[in-house]
Amino acid sequence: MERRVDVVILQVEHVRKAFAPAEAGGTGVTAVDGVDLAVERSEFVAITGSSGSGKSTLLHLLGGITRPTSGSVRLEGVDLATLGDEALAVVRRRRIGFVFQRYNLLPELSLVENVALPLVLDGMRNAAAEERARDALARVGMDHRAGHRPDALSGGEQQRGAIARALVAGPAIVLADEPTGALDSANSRRVIELFRELVEREAQTVVLVTHDPAIAAGAPRVVRMRDGRVESDTIAAGAPSR
Amino acid sequence: MRLWRLLLRQWRLRPGRALATVGSVAVAVGAVVATWVSADASRAGYRRLTETVEGVPSIDVSAVTGGRFDVGLLPRLADVGGVRAVVPLFYRPTLLRVGEKRVREIAVGVDAENLVAIGLLTLVAGRACSGPDEIILDQSLAASLERSVDDEVILFVRRGVRRVTVTGIAESQSLKWFAEGAGVVADIAALAEMSNALGLVDRARVVVESATVRPSALAAVAARLPPELVGEVPAGRSSMAEDMLLSANLGLDFVTGLTVAMAWFIVGNAMLMNVSERRRQLSLVRVLGATARQVQRFIVGEAAILGGVGALLGAVGGLAAAGPIAAGISRALQAPVSTIEVRPAVVPVAIALGTLVAMAAGWWPARQAAAIDPLEGLSQAPAPPARGVPWRMIAGALLLWAVAAGVLGLVLSGRVPPRTAVPAGIAMMLAFVATTPLILPAVARLAARVIPARWRLERTLALEQILRQPVRTALTTGVMVVAVSNGIGLGHAIRDNVDDVLRWYARLLRADWVLSHAGVVANGMKASGPTLVQAEEDVKAIPGVDRVEGIGIATGRANDNACVIVACEVHDGEPLPVDPVGIDDTTVRAALERGEALAGTALARRTGIKAGDEVAVEVYGRTTRMRIAALVVDYTSGGSSLVMRRDVARRMFGFEAADILLVKAAPGRAADLKEPLAAVAEKRTMLLRSFGELKQFIDFTVGGIVASLQSILFLGFVVGSLGVANTVTMNVLEKRRTLGLLRAVGMTSRQVTRMVVIESVILGIVGGLLGTLGGLVTALYIQFSSQPLLGHPVRMSFRPGVIIANVLAAILVTALAAWIPARRAARLDLLQALSAE
Repeated sequence: MERRVDVVILQVEHVRKAFAPAEAGGTGVTAVDGVDLAVERSEFVAITGSSGSGKSTLLHLLGGITRPTSGSVRLEGVDLATLGDEALAVVRRRRIGFVFQRYNLLPELSLVENVALPLVLDGMRNAAAEERARDALARVGMDHRAGHRPDALSGGEQQRGAIARALVAGPAIVLADEPTGALDSANSRRVIELFRELVEREAQTVVLVTHDPAIAAGAPRVVRMRDGRVESDTIAAGAPSR
Repeated sequence: MRLWRLLLRQWRLRPGRALATVGSVAVAVGAVVATWVSADASRAGYRRLTETVEGVPSIDVSAVTGGRFDVGLLPRLADVGGVRAVVPLFYRPTLLRVGEKRVREIAVGVDAENLVAIGLLTLVAGRACSGPDEIILDQSLAASLERSVDDEVILFVRRGVRRVTVTGIAESQSLKWFAEGAGVVADIAALAEMSNALGLVDRARVVVESATVRPSALAAVAARLPPELVGEVPAGRSSMAEDMLLSANLGLDFVTGLTVAMAWFIVGNAMLMNVSERRRQLSLVRVLGATARQVQRFIVGEAAILGGVGALLGAVGGLAAAGPIAAGISRALQAPVSTIEVRPAVVPVAIALGTLVAMAAGWWPARQAAAIDPLEGLSQAPAPPARGVPWRMIAGALLLWAVAAGVLGLVLSGRVPPRTAVPAGIAMMLAFVATTPLILPAVARLAARVIPARWRLERTLALEQILRQPVRTALTTGVMVVAVSNGIGLGHAIRDNVDDVLRWYARLLRADWVLSHAGVVANGMKASGPTLVQAEEDVKAIPGVDRVEGIGIATGRANDNACVIVACEVHDGEPLPVDPVGIDDTTVRAALERGEALAGTALARRTGIKAGDEVAVEVYGRTTRMRIAALVVDYTSGGSSLVMRRDVARRMFGFEAADILLVKAAPGRAADLKEPLAAVAEKRTMLLRSFGELKQFIDFTVGGIVASLQSILFLGFVVGSLGVANTVTMNVLEKRRTLGLLRAVGMTSRQVTRMVVIESVILGIVGGLLGTLGGLVTALYIQFSSQPLLGHPVRMSFRPGVIIANVLAAILVTALAAWIPARRAARLDLLQALSAE
C-alpha cells in the first residue's frame, strides 16, 4: 500500500520485539516479528487479532512504552528508538495520547485533575491545565462530571474521561488498547463512535487495538495480526479516501 | 512540578500509609533525640561526679622540661575568657615541730590573702597568712597537732629553722584543688625565699569559671604561653577522670550512632514499602509522560515532607521521653537533675537530620520508582518482586566492611583517635545488615522450623512472603538486628569493663576496713587528703589490728607528662596490689624492691613509655630518674598512674602520708575494730568503711553508670520494637491484595492472623539470630577499640543470659508487634482488598 510521505504520521519498519526467556516466563518469545506499518494523519486504524497475536505489544511499541528489538518506529519523522528515556517521556506526554482497557484513572484525583495530569507533568500551572482539561472533557461530553472522583463514575464515563486525558495535550496520535474491553455493548458503541467523531470532525489520528472483530469493524482500516506478523491490512469499503 | 495535589490527595485517601511513614520517622527521630539527650545527661552526670572531686575546675601551667620555672615567664592570663584567677604555686617538703611532735609535711606557697578574698580558700578560723613568719594549717592537721590560731610551730626548711605563727585554719575541702595533699599553707614569696628559690614557682593553676569553658580557656591560655611553658588539665583530677569516662563515652557514642542507623533502617524500609505499594500507580504516571526524574523528585519530595513532619513530632516525643530517662540516669549517677540541659541545637538538628535521613532513605526507593517499567502499570497482574540481591548493595557492603576494618586497624595502631572507631563501627553494622540478604534464606528456613507442623500452610506462605523480597526482609530484620546487636554487644562490653574495674579494686583494696580522707576512695581516688601520718599511728595502736597498709597518692610528672603517683606497700606472702601485664609477679616484686616503678597502661599508651625505659619522675619539685619495670592494669585516675613502693616514694620524694589506710584485723577481730576505728576517723576527719560497705558503694557507683547505659539500651530496644510494629503494619497494608486473594480462595481469617504472626515470629527469630552474631562482633569491636583507651585488653566473657534475654525479647516484641496488623489483615474487606491498587 503506497502512502504519501508528507501525510504519514507513524511509520513502522521491520519492527521486531523479542522477550528474553526470563521476561517471557521461562521461554523466549517473539511477540512482534518484522511488522511494517504506516499510519496517516487523521486515520482511524484498528489492529485486531487473537490473544497472543502481538497486537498489544505492537501498540506499546508505537507509543514508546517499550523499545523494539530491531527495526524502527518513527512518529512525525522521529525514530523513537533513538530517544533517551527522558525525551521519550516528553514525547509520550505531548504527542501521544493513551487509552487503556481499565481506564487507569488515578483514584485520588477528580476527573478534571486526572485529565489535566499530562499538562501538569509538562509544567503547566494547575489552573491553566484544568481549564484545558475541562475543554477536553467537553469534547467527550463529560464536562458535567469534571469534579467527580473516578469511583463515582460508571465504566463508560471513566473511559470517556480517559479519552479526554488522551486528547488534552493535543497529541499527534491516540493509541487505545482494548478501550471497550471492560465496557458493556452500549458503552462500547459510544466509545467507538466517539473515536470516529474525533477522527472525522477534528482530524485526530487514532490507532485502536481490539480482539473484538465487531469493534474493529467500526474503524475504516483494519490491520489483522497473527503470530506477531501482519496477516492482512484492509480498508473498509466506503471509508473516506485519504 | 505541580504534583503536590496528587500527593495531598493520596495522603487524604490513604492516610494509613502516610501516617505509618510519618510514624516511622517520628519513632526514629524520637529515639535519636531521646538517646542524645539521655547520653548528654549521662555525660553531665559523669562530669558532675568528676567536678565533685575536683572542686574547682582549673588548668595547670608548668615548665615543659619539668621542675620549677621563673614566674616572670608567666604571661598575663587573667583576662582570658572564662578565667577566674591565676594562682602561682610553690611546693616544699618540710618538717613541722610542735613540742616533741615532729611531722613531715608538704607546704604550699600561695598568695593566701588574695585566695581568701576571692573565695577560693575558706578559713574556718583566723585570717590569711601574709608574711615570712605566718602560716595557715589544714583543719585536720591543726586538730592532730592540737594547734589553733595564734599558736606557734617550728618549721624546718632549707635555710634552717623558723618559728612561725598559725594565723588561720583552712577548711580541708577548700585546699583540695591546689594543695596536692599539703597541710601547710604559706606565703609564696616567703616559702620560695626560705627554699633559696625566690622568683621560682612549681606551677600556676589557672582557675576557670566552669568545666564547660575549660577546653576553650585551655586553648586560649596555651596560645599565650611561651615555648618554655605548657598548659594542661591538672593531673589526678578530671583529665584523668575524663580518660576513664572516655570508655563510657565511647559506649554512649556507639549507642547514639546505632540509633541513627536503626532510624535509617526504619525510615528506609517505610519509604521502600511506601513506593512498592504504589508501583502500579507510578508506572501509570510514567506512561502518561512523567520523566524518571520527575518521579524521583516526587518520591524524594514526599519523603522530605513526611520526614519533616515526622521529625518534628519525633523531636517533641523524644524530648518528652528523655526527661524521665535522664532524670533516672541522674539519680543513678547521684547527680542533680538540674545538671541535665537540653542543648538548644537538639531540636533543629534532629528535625534537619530526620528530614535528611528520610530523603536519603527515600532516594533508593525513588530510583526504583523512576526505573519502573511503564508496562508494569498496564499489566493486569502485579509484577513479581525481584528476588535477587542487587550487586551494588553487596559491593557497598563489602566496601563498608573494608572501611570499618581499616579504621579499626588504625585505631589499634594508635594512628587515629579511639573515638574514630564509633563511625567505623556503625559502618560495620550497616555493612552487616547489607550482607544479611545473602544468608537470609538459609537463616529464615532454619527459623521457620520452630513453627509447629500443624501450621505448615501458614508457615509455608509466611516463609514465601519473607523470601520473595530478601532486601526488604533484610531492612525489616535490620531494625531488630541493630537493637539485638546493640543489646548483646554493649551488654557484654559494659559488664566486661565493669568486671575489669571490680577485679582491680578487689586486688588493690584487700582489707577488712578502709580509712580514707572523705572523697578519696569514694570518688575514684583522685584527690589527695591531708596528712594521715598521725592517723596511721593511731590505727596501728589499736588492739586487734593485724596490719595497716597505706596508699599514698600525689600528682606528678613522668617524662614531662602529667600523671598520678601511687605509693603502695608490697608485703611478702601477699599478692601484689597491682595487675602486671605480660610479666610474672615475682619479677615485678623484685623490681619494685630495687626502687623501680610500674606504669599504668593508659599512661604508657599516652606517653609511649615502655617497660624497661628510664623516665624522669617529678613530684613536689623533686626530679629523679626511675626505671619502669612493667606496665600494670590500673584504674587510678584512668590508668595514668605511676606505681611504686611506699618506702621508695618516701625516700625519693618525701612522700610521707598515706591517703588511704587499709586495715587488716587479726583473725576474728574485724568486728571489734569498728568502734576504735570510727573514733580515729572522727578525730582525723576521715571516712571509715568496711570492705563490704566499700564494695557496696563501688557496686552502687558502677551500677549507676551501668544503669545509665542500660536504660539507653532499653530505649533502643523500645524503638526497635516500635519500628518493627510499624514495619509489620506497612507490610500488611502493602499485601492487602495478596491477603484478599488468599481469603477469596478460602483461607479463614484465623489462618490469615496466624500467617501474619508467624511471619513476624520468623522475622524476630532471624533478627535475634543475626543480632546475636552482630552483637558478639560488636562486643569484640568495642573491646578492641577501647583497648587503646584503657591501654590493656579487657577479658571478654561469653554471657548466655544476655544473649537469651535479647533474643527472647526480639521474638516477643515482633510477635506482639504483629498482632494488631494481623487482626486487621483478617478483617480485610474482600472486595476492597481485591481492588487495591
